[in-house]
Formats: sequence, structure tokens, C-alpha cells
Amino acid sequence: MIDLKFKVNGKKIKIKVDASLRLLDILRDKLDLTGTKEGCGIGECGACTIIMNGEAVNSCLILADQVQDAEIETVEILEKDEVLSNLQKAFHDYGAIQCGFCTPGMLMSAKALLDKNPKPSGDEIKIALEGNLCRCTGYIPIIEAITNAE
Amino acid sequence: MFNTIGKKIQRIDGYEKVTGKAIYGDDIKIHGMLFAAFRYTDIPSGKIKRIDITGTKKLEGVEAIVLYKDIPGAKRVGPIRQDYFPIVNDEVFYAGDVIAIVAAKTKEIAQSAVEEIEVEYEPITPITDIEKAVKPGSRLVHQEYKSNIVVHYPLIKGDVEKGFADSEQVIERKYRTNFVEHSYIEPESVTVVPDPTTKGFKIYGSIQNPFTTRKIVALFMGLNLNQVNVFPSNLGGSFGGKDDIINHISCRLALLSKITGKPVQITYSRENSIKEGYKRHPYLMNYKAGFDCDGKLKAMKIDILADSGAYSSQTFFVNWRSVVQATGPYEIENVQTDIKGIYTNNSYTAAMRGFGSPQVIFAQESLMDEIAEICSITPLEIREINGYKQGSITASGQKLSGHKVSLQQVINEAVKKSDYKKVRTKYFEKNKTSERYKFGLGLSCSFRGCSLGAEGMDMSSAIVSVQADGSVIVFTGVNENGQGLRTSMCQICSEVLGVELEKITFLEPQTSTIADGGPTVASRGTLVGGNAVIDAATKVKNRIFEVIKEDLKVAVLEETEWKNGKIYSKKSGNNFVEFSQAVERSYWKGINLSAYGWFKGPQVGWKEKTGQGNAYFTYVYGCHIAQIKVDTITGKIELVKITAAHDVGKIINRLGAEGQIYGGVTQGFGYGVLEDYNIQNGEVKSQNFDEYLIPTIKDIPEIEPVLIENPDKFGPFGAKSIGEPTLELTAAAVNNALKFAIGKHSYQIPLTLEQVFLGKNLRKPARQSEVVHLSQKKTKQVFRINNIKTKTPENLENALNILSEGKYKILAGGTDVIVQARMKTELLNLLNIYSIAELKEISETENEILIGSAVTFSQLISNELIKKHFPILVKACSTIGSTQIRNRATIGGNIVNAAPCADSVPPLILRRAELVLLSKTGQRKIPIKDFIIKHYQTKIKPDELLVSINIPKPANKKYYHSYFQLGRRNAMNITRMSISALISFDSENKIDECRLVDGSLFSRSQRLTGVENSLIGKPLNEQNIEGIEKLLSEKIEKEIGRRWSSAYKRPVFINMCKEALREINREFSRKNANNKP
Repeated sequence: MIDLKFKVNGKKIKIKVDASLRLLDILRDKLDLTGTKEGCGIGECGACTIIMNGEAVNSCLILADQVQDAEIETVEILEKDEVLSNLQKAFHDYGAIQCGFCTPGMLMSAKALLDKNPKPSGDEIKIALEGNLCRCTGYIPIIEAITNAE
Repeated sequence: MFNTIGKKIQRIDGYEKVTGKAIYGDDIKIHGMLFAAFRYTDIPSGKIKRIDITGTKKLEGVEAIVLYKDIPGAKRVGPIRQDYFPIVNDEVFYAGDVIAIVAAKTKEIAQSAVEEIEVEYEPITPITDIEKAVKPGSRLVHQEYKSNIVVHYPLIKGDVEKGFADSEQVIERKYRTNFVEHSYIEPESVTVVPDPTTKGFKIYGSIQNPFTTRKIVALFMGLNLNQVNVFPSNLGGSFGGKDDIINHISCRLALLSKITGKPVQITYSRENSIKEGYKRHPYLMNYKAGFDCDGKLKAMKIDILADSGAYSSQTFFVNWRSVVQATGPYEIENVQTDIKGIYTNNSYTAAMRGFGSPQVIFAQESLMDEIAEICSITPLEIREINGYKQGSITASGQKLSGHKVSLQQVINEAVKKSDYKKVRTKYFEKNKTSERYKFGLGLSCSFRGCSLGAEGMDMSSAIVSVQADGSVIVFTGVNENGQGLRTSMCQICSEVLGVELEKITFLEPQTSTIADGGPTVASRGTLVGGNAVIDAATKVKNRIFEVIKEDLKVAVLEETEWKNGKIYSKKSGNNFVEFSQAVERSYWKGINLSAYGWFKGPQVGWKEKTGQGNAYFTYVYGCHIAQIKVDTITGKIELVKITAAHDVGKIINRLGAEGQIYGGVTQGFGYGVLEDYNIQNGEVKSQNFDEYLIPTIKDIPEIEPVLIENPDKFGPFGAKSIGEPTLELTAAAVNNALKFAIGKHSYQIPLTLEQVFLGKNLRKPARQSEVVHLSQKKTKQVFRINNIKTKTPENLENALNILSEGKYKILAGGTDVIVQARMKTELLNLLNIYSIAELKEISETENEILIGSAVTFSQLISNELIKKHFPILVKACSTIGSTQIRNRATIGGNIVNAAPCADSVPPLILRRAELVLLSKTGQRKIPIKDFIIKHYQTKIKPDELLVSINIPKPANKKYYHSYFQLGRRNAMNITRMSISALISFDSENKIDECRLVDGSLFSRSQRLTGVENSLIGKPLNEQNIEGIEKLLSEKIEKEIGRRWSSAYKRPVFINMCKEALREINREFSRKNANNKP
């Protein structure tokens, strides 16, 4: 068991967990932050994408011991006081969602990009989201949403 | 004018989906629930001699171990023929068969428990080839059915032999398609809860067709339908794929739940999802066509074998749709079609978006282009000559009337919007001069029967319930699969009642609260569900009307208009009643404001013996035009644009309809080019998304949706279908575009690199020794990390001390180590060096650049020193994985893991990098070229840590470099091959330094010294570039000549090398020209 101390969505977390747990398991099973999804477990689909210390990462490829002192952001941080972020609104408006399972990961990859680069080009968006698979939308509405997120 | 129909309407479930609040199967948690795990077979085909569960029984926390004998009801189930064993008895039929099931207190215990179940087999050589499976005397997959033929549908129209005799030309072609994995991003998840009230179960999860799940579970458990209540969760994609498999999982969980008396949950790993899940049918299609030289089709004989895999499932209905649509949208007087579904020991096949159409459209539309070519007419002309027109007679003898036959209209619109004729000329001209890249333009079109047709009972249900305050609840017997059904059902209700969309909510149906509305398949959701909603809403509307008609001084409903929450009199526009007031008054009058809606499809029919009849009550028409770019030196196809025109009858939600096109076309491109499901000897090799490649965001540059409306009398507001038509056409259009580009016909999809370059797909040959080997191998049952210990040292010294004391595997970014750890059962001790500050820096000395081993690729490729001195390293490392991967993966990890495809290694060899290995006892340096021995083997000692990668700064002269990486798609590739090249020239413009390094070709990346030496002292011109071929060819032949893949790798690698040299030459010539005064 490992004693962990880190921050999730600005909130301090202290928790004792098994060393075999991945950050994804900690978020979903221990902290009930089920917005982050698991699609493949090997970093190929990006459904579990979260932001760790400012960078988009696959939470299925981070072990408990590697979360120590980290700052984590998950999809749950995006809506503030029942107001959707502009990025969420844009996903909604442009039809960037269908089944919605890849959406949290897409949003977090996009957020990591926009935090550093508020006006990304189409190519920059594609690089930021190349590790997020979507089987429903054909990606085009997702690019439109990110391009037009104010 | 409509209030909401046809507009761009945002999804009503968008809020929950963008906030992460939407509940999917695995998000359900129930107090005291157990976790299940399934013991899969180790071999695809054979008898079970012994199952030993003693090891499992001993494990603490295991609450149930269940075998075939424990099944209380039907032991075999299936939608049509009951041939599927949710738990097998004494024989296994495919790689995804389940032998035993376990429930335990935790996931970890359940998974360890299934590892402990020992099974002994008597293997049987699997039948994997459909042509062999149908031969007389072939072993029977299921003895009791007396034949490997699951079903045979014939179709006879006219006299095909006479038709051939009357034809001026007759050609015959054979087409092949592969399995396709649905690849919904959400793996299967089911939770079963015992229900003491009904003495049955409540079932939650990723369920596409809840009524089917209910039926199958009731049968398996020996229960009545009213004892099983199914609650579908949000569905994370389905595309036809969460039907049978979910039913089987539900059966197993219900049984575990009954035995333990507790709720039980399972969520699949991707590997198990792919292994057990069914696929799209591979087809082998023989088309014989007779036609006149003007292009008029006279006769067509079609013979199709469809691989049903180990079970029949939906093969009957899938094949039936194929027999109806196999000739495409063309009127042909004489047709004979025979389709047979065949049992094999492959993955079983069933419903997947398209349902028997993508295969035949690929064949048919490829054939049409070939016939056009023979007749020297254009692809447009042949379709105009033969295409369906109003009143045409289909192959099954159905007269196309009662709806607008819009084939020519959709083709014309697609042609217009895509600027087809201009692009055709442009590409034709371009291809005359462009040598390496060839551009292609291809077209395909189709007709598709809407809904189930004569294959099933076409009905559906809905309830519209107006509340006392004027708000409304809608629910239907069809389901939200992600396609946007909730939104369109609410829109339809809103349109009928004139109530604002915001006042309507959609209730996810439970099977016990609404009548069976049939499955959500066949692109029928809007059509049948929408009609049922209209029926229900209209009933309520009539009841409310009776209450307020006197106020509005009108006699009949038609004299009113319901919009914006008000009910108007059409005669005097100012005269209205608020909907909410009308409702309130009705409520206090005791009027029933809830109504049941029902829709039963119009009469259709089919004669099994002749394949004649009115197969579907209406049809949709579509046309795709594909523009592609082909790299002829590698065979790689790049999509430029797809224009997709579809007649949808009437658009309900434009946002949703366009979304269907974007998604369907993308899947269609995957089907045509990328998705190459690999199953060998019945063993599934494409286990996860690293091996089964679906399109990424970089593969789909542009899709142009064109929606055409011809309202249908049977559709709600005239709406028909859109989901499946969008997918079925793309692969055929791309194949025709490929022919345009390279001038060669292809008869097989996917159009892999090898298929395009060599005209055939390469597969590792099946060896009998491997089949035997399979029977002795035991694979891990669930790929999951479950036995890890980690240590995180404070600093480098601490790390070296720990390493000197025990055996550790180094963990840095984890992007390889964690993936590999999922496959292991034994304890793994990891030393986490990711955060050691000393290893995370990039610095420089006078002569070297020093890269810490824990530097991530994101750090590396954005570092100014690296960008300045080693642009080739930046280029190579930018292609590794994805942004997420590069944010974690380290350069040290990439080197020590020593995968042959490690992308950082070739440029480091090229730059003569040296590795610094440190241990408690000292330091040693080793050139990277000598460090890697072969695949996944290096010279590092157990107590050593790679701490730094030192690269000599380039000499003070001009170096030219080139990097060429080949991957099957445009992102997230495992590098197929790469070449890194570095050249400098002397004052006489002759090569004085030359370094070439391969990636992923040989067992380890290495300098191509023979080729390098042959170039030194010579100018870099076309003759000398061509001159490397012989040497390089010999080298490749010697090293990998006997490998199955060398037929592709040798010529393509040579091409890549030449191209890299040409790039340098171009750059050099440009610089030289600029330097001249």
C-alpha cells in the first residue's frame, strides 16, 4: 500500500492505495470521478486522458506511485457553478458528441492544448488530439468545436 | 413550416456527456456487488478433456465458480438458431468461447481465480477457410446441423444463362472482404442485480437491444419475461456490436447472481472484447456479368460465401440483405444470386453497421467501374444507363414505386458538389506528370432497404406522457445508441404537440415498462420509433383538442396550429390557448394525458425458394465520391476528401444527420483501407487498438455531407434512414479511386500497404507446428495490472543503491512497461525513476549534448539545443505515439525497451550517440549502435541504470539530412519501416560523409555501411541513387530474405532510401543554386 498525497481539480487528496492501481483506477474507483473512461488500457484510445501537471496524459499508463504530489485535472473541473466552459459549450453546439464515451478524453486533450495555445491551428488541434480515438463523429465536428471555442 | 424538424438541434443528452456525468455501464456501483471474470478457452477448436477448479476454490474471496452443468434453463441460445453456448460443455468452437465463470469480492480476486482454472484439451485443427469448409467431406463445426452451411439464400430473376448468351461481353471477377471489429470505444459492461420482487433480475449496462437481452436471459435462466427487467445505460457506441455478446454476458452474470444472491458486475478489457465479440462477415464474392458494348447490363450471376464463424447469430438476416441488394441499384433482366453463410472456427460474425451491404457494394461498384472501362464509357454513364429509375424492377422483382427513386438525383448532387468532372480532369492531368504520388477519384452508389424488411416483424412502441404542468416525457421501445435518438424522438414529439423542446425529456426505457419495440438496428430508429411517437402524441393531442376546441371556435383538429407552447386557431391567428392551460384543464377534467403509440410496418414479403418479393417497404439512395492520394513507392493511401450524398427522406435533426455522415464515412474509410483484423488458425492476433487500426483524427481531412430530401409516405414527417447508408459506400468509392490513381484494379479490402503495392495481402503463413503449439500455450485471461510493487527513489544515488540490492524493472514514463505488465501474472518489482531530477535535464558541454534518460519526448522535441543540432531526432521523435504518450514516454525507456520500431534509436545511431550506464560500482559508456543486441535485448546489466544519452555536436560543416517514416495511418503508428539519412559534401560537391540507418527493418537498427561506402566520393545524382539498389537488395535478402514480409519490405525500403537521398539532393541543389552569385 502507498500513502498518496496529490491534488485533483484543486482539491487536496490524501489516500492509501495499492501499488498496482493506475491513476485511472484511483480516479474512478477510489474518488468516484467516473467522468474519466477506460477504453483500451494501453494508451491507444485516449478515453482516459486527464491533465497532469499541465500536460495531457493517459491515466491508464500512470501508476499510483507516480501520482505523488501531482496536480491532476479531470473532466469534472470544466463546469463551474453549473456553467459549462466555452469548450464544453462548443462541443455541444457543433455536434462534437455522439455516444459521448470519448468526449471527456477529447475535452481534456483540447483543454491542455488551449491552456497553452488559445488560438490553435487545425494542424495543432490534430496533433493534440491524435491520441484520442472516436468511432462515432468522424472527428470533423470535434475540430470545428475546438477551433470555435471562444 | 416546421418548428424543430430539419433544424440543427443540439443533443438533449449533450450536457451530461460534456460534463462526464453521463452514466455508462462501468459507472454503476451497487452496494455489496461482486465482480465476475470469465475463463476463456486457450485454443480455438477442440474437445475439453478436463476442467480443474481446485486451485480456484482455495482462493479467499471467490464466491462462485460456475460451469455448463449449472445452467438452469436453455444451454444454447441465439437470435435465430440456438447454437451458441454462453458457457461451453465439452467442446470449444472459437477463440472467444467461455469455459467457466467466476464471481469474487474484488476484480483482482476474480481475475486471479480464472487464471487458476486448469483446462486440458484434445485440440482439433480449426476450420478457418470458408472454401474448404463447404467442400463435401469437410469436418463439421457443429455435427448436429449436418452441414457447415448455416443458410443458403437463392434469388432467381429471368434466365441468367440466356442472358449471358445474349450478351456481347461476359466477365467474371472475384472479390474478398475481411472481418471488421466494431471498435466502439466503450468496452462491454454489465451489472446484474437480483430482484426479490420478481424472483428474477434487473440488468444494467451497455445494452443495444434490451428486449433481446431480456428474452435470451429469461431462456437461459428458465424465467418468464416479466422476471427480467433490462435498464440500458448510456451506450458508448455499438454499431450493431452490443447485441449478442451483451446477451451472453448477461446470461453468465444472471447465473452468478442467482448462485451468490448478490449483484455481479463485469467490464471487459479491450482484449477480451475483441476476442469474444462478433465481427462483420468476411465475404468471398464471385460476380459474373454479361453486358453489351454500350454498357447495358444483360445478366448477372453472383455467388457469395460468407464466413459466419463458429456460430450462426445474425448470419441469416445479414445474408438475406445481401441477396436483396447484391446487384446494386441496377436494373438487370436476368439475375441469379446464391449466398451461403458458412460455419468455421473463426470469430463469429453478426450485425455490424451496414449489415451485409458494405461487402456487396464493394464488389458491385468495383465491377461497374471495370465494365465501364471495358465499354469505354465513364463511371457516370454506366450508372445512368443501368441505374434504377422510377418504376424499375429490382432483382427480387419488386417494382420501385410509392417512393421517389432518387438514385440519379443523389449521383447528380454528389457530382455537382464535389466538382467531379473538373477534379477528374485535374487529377488526370496531374497523374501524367507526377511520378511518386498519384491522385484518384472514385464513385460508388447504392440503394438500401429501410428497416428490417421481410427479415423480421417490423413494429415499434412509444409512450408520450404529458404532465399536469405541460411538461412532457417521451419514451420509446427503440434505444439511444449514441446516434442521437433521444433528441430526434423529442423533436418529433415537440413538433406534434407544439411544445418547446426544453419542456420534453426522454426517459430511457426499461423492458418492463414499455412493449417490445423491436431492436434498434437496420437504421430504423427514427423511422419506426418516430412513427410510434407521432401516434402517441397525436392521441394525446386529440384528447386535449376536445377540451379546448370550443374556446378556439373550431370544429376539427386540422383547423388548429400547435407551436411555441400555444394552440392557435388557423382561422384567426390571434386566437390561442396556452398549451399548459389546455393541459391543466384537461387534467382537472380527468382526461388521460398519456398515450401509447404503435407502429407496424407496411406489408412486405419474400419467397424463400426463388428470392422474389417486395423485400422492403421503402428504400434510400446514396452516392459517395472519394478523392485520394496514393504514394506509389509505399502503397500508402491518403484520403483527400469524401463527398457523401444521401437521400434521407426528410431531415429530422440536421446536426445529427450530418454527424451520421461524418462518422459513417470515417468507418467506411477504415473498412476500405485500414482495418485489417488478423486472425490466424483461429487465434485472434489483433488484440487491441495497437494492432487493429481505426482512423485517427489525422486520417480524415475532409468530408462533405450532402443531404437530399424526398419525404416518404411511410416515414415520420417523411424521414427514412441514414445510419448505415453512410458507411456502406466509402470503401467502394476509395477502391475505384485507387484504380483511377494507379491504373490497376484491386479486388480485396482493406487496401493495406501490401495490397496496394504488391496487389496482395501478406500474412504470416500458418504452420501446423504453431497449431500444436497453441494447444499447449496458456494465455493470461484478463490483461490487467494486478501484481505490482513500486519503489520511488529520492535521487540517483538512492536509485543505484536500490538497484544493487535486488532485481527491479525500471519504470520511467510507463508507456511500455505498464502495457507489458498487463500481460504478466507474476509479481513485478518496479523502480520508478520518472521524477529523478538528475535524469530530466538536457545540457551541453563543449563537444556534446547530454540528454537525461528520463527526458520525455515532448521535452526533447521542443528543446532549443536539440532543435538546433539534431533536427532529424526531433522529426523522428515527433512521430512517436501521441501527444499523451510523448508527454510521458522517455528517451531512455525507448532505448532500453529496444523494440525494433523504437523511433529515437536510428537518429541516435546516425549521430553516433553514446549511452552512459551507471551502477553503484561505476560508470561505463557504450555506443548506442552496440547497445541493442536484438528485439527487446540490450547489454544493460541488472544493477545498471541508463542515465544519459550523449550526442557529439555536429562538426562545423553543413549536413543534409532526411527522415522517412512509414506507418499504416497518419498517427499512433507502430513504425513499419524508417530510414534516417545524413550526408555532407566536399568542395567538389562529392559526398564526403554518408550515414544511413534503418528503422524496424532488421532485428536491430544499424548503419547500412555497404551502401554508405558505395556513395562516398561520388556526387549525389540520380544514377548514383539508383545505384544503391543492388547492394541494398543483397543486404536485405541476406538479413531478412526468408521472412514472409520481405516481399513487401525489400522493394519498399529500397524506394524509401532512394527517396530520402533524393530529398537531400533536392535540398542540396537548392542551397547550391542559392549560393551562386
